[in-house]
Amino acid sequence: MSERNTTGQRRGFLKTLGLAGGAAVAASAPAAAFNADGSLGDAKPEKESADQRLAARYRETEDVKAFYRTNRY
Amino acid sequence: MARMKFLCDSDRCIECNACVTACKNEHEVPWGINRRRVVTLNDGKPGERSISMACMHCTDAPCQAVCPVDCFYTTADHIVLHDKDLCIGCGYCFYACPFGAPQYPKVGNFGGRGKMDKCTYCAGGPQADNSAAEYAQYGANRIAEGKLPLCAEMCSTKALLAGDGEIIASIYKERVQVRGYGAGAWGWRTAYRETVGV
Repeated sequence: MSERNTTGQRRGFLKTLGLAGGAAVAASAPAAAFNADGSLGDAKPEKESADQRLAARYRETEDVKAFYRTNRY
Repeated sequence: MARMKFLCDSDRCIECNACVTACKNEHEVPWGINRRRVVTLNDGKPGERSISMACMHCTDAPCQAVCPVDCFYTTADHIVLHDKDLCIGCGYCFYACPFGAPQYPKVGNFGGRGKMDKCTYCAGGPQADNSAAEYAQYGANRIAEGKLPLCAEMCSTKALLAGDGEIIASIYKERVQVRGYGAGAWGWRTAYRETVGV
């Protein structure tokens, strides 16, 4: 009898652990995932203007400088 | 103004496909679409060479020239991007591209290919920078975050270079001056004797 109780407790614990893990994954999931069909999914469209889309984004940040430096070795 | 380019040092590429994997993981690119791939010439033979290929972000891009709906545009950084809301999946860009960069997610009824997908140089697309909409359609925008494409940053042998064309060209020039190129490269004769030349 006590052995059966222990088994039940263990299964209950594992079930709780599984549910908590699933909830944590759902909470940390990104707001949107890549859609191969090119659709927006649940995301709202936020189109850039003609000037914004052509603007330069590249900046020589510390990350970029480190890349250039380490590739010279 | 910087001109963004990729440069693959084929003397260093070991065909590990980490660039392909990094790209797929960063942008959640599904099975069937490869924005980047590693091409190997003379596979298994002495003098074998591998090169990592993706969209080369051409100056006078043939895909842009043939697109009937004009969905391509070139940014001030010389990155060729496209608008998936305009794309009709006609496939002209696929036939025009000499590198096989444009990819299509599916072949549906009546030969429908779906919206074209290609390397964005990790620069997203015409949605607001790093928005959920941009990620859903084009993947991550690392350039707007002040980073470089992940494929190049991940390369373990530093074969794949990305960034300002003038800077990466100078890096490559330094390498060739120090170690040589092809059959004249350091270690070539140890590996292949003197019988194989490229």
